[in-house]
Amino acid sequence: MLSDLRLSLVAELIRDHILLDGIDRYCQETGVKSSDFIPFEPIEFGGDILAADGSNVSVCGWSVAAINLIRSGYVVYQGQRWKRTVITFDDIFFADPAIYADQFAPPLKRLGQDQIDLKEEDLERLSTYFRELQEYASLNDAISVAKPGDIILYDGSFDVFEPLRAALSSVFRRAEERGVALLAVAKSSSLYWGEGISLPFMYHTNQAGSMLLPNSPWYLNLKDKRVNRGPGKWGGESFIVRFTGRSDHAFRVDVPGYLAGQVEEALAGISSCSTSAECPGYPHALFRAHRDIKITDNEGASVRMRLKDKLYRDGLSPRQIAVLMQDYHDILEMRQGI
Amino acid sequence: MMPKPDIDSILKGAEEGDEDRIVTGDEGRLVIEDERTTYRILSKSVREYHFTVPYNSRQDRVEVGQIFSIKDQDLTFLARVLNIEHSSNYDGHWDTTMRGTQFYDHDQIFNRVIAEPLGCAFPDGVFRKARTLPTKFSPVERAEKEEFGFLKAVMGDIEVGYLRNGSRLVEEIPVSLHSLAMDHHMGVFATTGMGKSNFMKVFAASCMRLAARGESKFGLLIVDPHGEYLRGKGPNKGLVHLKRYREGLACYSTDKKNASDPDVEELAISESDVRPEDIALLYDWSPPQREALEAISRTLDSDNWLEEIQSPEGLARMVQQSFHESTINVLIRRIKNELYRNKYIKKRSSLGNILAHLQKGEVVLVDIPRMSDRSELFLLSIISRYILEDYKKDLPEGKAEERKNCLITIEEAQRVLGAGSNTSRFESIAREGRKFGVGLCAITQQPKLIDRQLLSQFNTLVVMGLGDRNDRKQLEESAKQDLSSMDIEIQTLEKGEAVVSTLSIPFPVPARIHRFEDYLHRLNQEEREEGLIKKGGFKPFLE
Repeated sequence: MLSDLRLSLVAELIRDHILLDGIDRYCQETGVKSSDFIPFEPIEFGGDILAADGSNVSVCGWSVAAINLIRSGYVVYQGQRWKRTVITFDDIFFADPAIYADQFAPPLKRLGQDQIDLKEEDLERLSTYFRELQEYASLNDAISVAKPGDIILYDGSFDVFEPLRAALSSVFRRAEERGVALLAVAKSSSLYWGEGISLPFMYHTNQAGSMLLPNSPWYLNLKDKRVNRGPGKWGGESFIVRFTGRSDHAFRVDVPGYLAGQVEEALAGISSCSTSAECPGYPHALFRAHRDIKITDNEGASVRMRLKDKLYRDGLSPRQIAVLMQDYHDILEMRQGI
Repeated sequence: MMPKPDIDSILKGAEEGDEDRIVTGDEGRLVIEDERTTYRILSKSVREYHFTVPYNSRQDRVEVGQIFSIKDQDLTFLARVLNIEHSSNYDGHWDTTMRGTQFYDHDQIFNRVIAEPLGCAFPDGVFRKARTLPTKFSPVERAEKEEFGFLKAVMGDIEVGYLRNGSRLVEEIPVSLHSLAMDHHMGVFATTGMGKSNFMKVFAASCMRLAARGESKFGLLIVDPHGEYLRGKGPNKGLVHLKRYREGLACYSTDKKNASDPDVEELAISESDVRPEDIALLYDWSPPQREALEAISRTLDSDNWLEEIQSPEGLARMVQQSFHESTINVLIRRIKNELYRNKYIKKRSSLGNILAHLQKGEVVLVDIPRMSDRSELFLLSIISRYILEDYKKDLPEGKAEERKNCLITIEEAQRVLGAGSNTSRFESIAREGRKFGVGLCAITQQPKLIDRQLLSQFNTLVVMGLGDRNDRKQLEESAKQDLSSMDIEIQTLEKGEAVVSTLSIPFPVPARIHRFEDYLHRLNQEEREEGLIKKGGFKPFLE
């Protein structure tokens, strides 16, 4: 049985991870200096801000293959005013290692790629890759409709797995050609620092920034900082950014190499559109993209029902359908329904 | 049987022939850019509709009490707004996050309107209670005169105002009460200053019009203790100013000056018209005194008892009935007081003429200015007993049809219809008057004081703004039509606005009562400009 003593030890460990007792050690070990936190002023942005996102839910699966419902798209804002939402993909993905290639072909083609080279260990992430490819296709579509000087935001990071890098590079090229600023904003990050213990870099950077520049938006370039990160070979720069002075949160922002030296201007424009009532401190276009593109539980349940109906009409018995559609955890948890 | 799809068609996108729209990966691209909040039914049941409206419309605000129409194929549902709530597509307290108030997505925020179904117009033009609900997402729009057209067919003959949709008038639809419902009693309820007297004058004017045109179905008795109906007060006009239909009005007054008008008769009640029970309701009596009062009619001559009891012989006869002399002396003293106060008690009587006018369907105004509360009740008791007794009599065949019904108006009705009041005369009219064609029109600003059982006998209610929750509750619990959902609307009624509930009209109707002076002007002009009036040229209130 879990003892109080054990819990106390865990709490102490968490405190050691989280509590930043001054910024000296943080600065010393990460190489971050106080002067690296650059304050900036929001600028009223009159152009369009486009934000792309994606969503997927599992419909059913049978150990070697799965059916997922995937949606991706983007929203368009003129400054702070929503103009439209565009859904570029909303369909079933058949995650079967034997037949994935045909399904990957259309989005790859739109991104100017022929094929995707997946290794055996990548096959377990088929749905994730497919969704991300569709999100890149959405970005591609957004770049097509954007005007030079517009900002395009992506929900996530550009620091992606090897198989997707070629497709992402083609998106960067098109964005550069079009003259738009393309930035990825990640709500969470696995960046860490410290020796002998993994300390949350983004969390501590946020604390340090708040101490040094209270009530001001700021950004910090991670270049040359001693931070442990992921693959890190995507050809751009990463920043930690607090978009508004009164926010409790900072975010990781990835910027392709072609935007070097122009980041502050883009961040200032985004900052003026990150003060909405709904989600203060976060780029509002990304908030809206998340809500508009998200596949709700009801939608997932509806697709499952329709699929069950089709299976029944195709001759499967209710019992067979139930076994196919049910996650065994649902049985263990004694959940009702599918 | 449907052909089986092959794996290629699944991989390429939607199944051919699938009715539902699925956006395919390659060509499909769904663009959503309409940010207008739509007026559409969202939910929720047969008893309550919810729909959305823009949250920031300045020109077209939705108001409690407004009526909306919902078109669903060949049916038109009508619903009245009960409440309006702020709403959005967000959960939680996003709108109280004071840090972020600079902007928000306008298309995600709306007002949710909660409306009460009134009924449904069927293709045959008949309006009935709805036993189903409109299809989800059916379009909703503010009801206009076309949607209210069916109301014209169910309105009665006594015009009192115009239909009101929220605070907007629908002048094409007059609100009119039914003559035939008047023996089923009417209640007029409003706090002071909300327009009770104006309503009664408008009501009486319409009755005069019907009487003068030979279309009246009942006679209306108004006893006016405030002296405001005959000639009005200050800038306000009175019923005598309705010259066009003056012949529909018979006036009686206790005021010498008013009675000097050749068209106004001085009111007289003969001593023989007064009964011991009329005296009974004027005072609180001890049990022996009450017994003595009840014994009068079997001891003394019923036509001459007032004179007799004041004589030594009368006193002796009462004492012979085992009543104590001091008890009888109290009766005599009080009777003398009443005779002194009520100078209209004379040898002659106006009651016969009053009754005749009523039975011809005219409006009879009994003007008793400056009369005390007690004297007014005393007079009203005498007149209404006289009327009820006559209406109870069987008439020879043919004569019964000539006799019109009668509606007796009682101001401050809580005095005589309240729980525990000792005025059983009015209660008996409320309970059984309908059988004989006699109805009550009870006017009060405190319906909570009216006996609930009596109130439930009232089939027509005119409610004109009641601030007291207990007053509204009393009405809601007693009304024949469900008024409970109109609580907010009744509370927020403005002067001259009313909710009219009567069984002949399928739902409680919001109305703006005509301003009497404007209505008077219209009626006086009626002969010359009738054509124009029918076209809706009359506007009762200044814009």
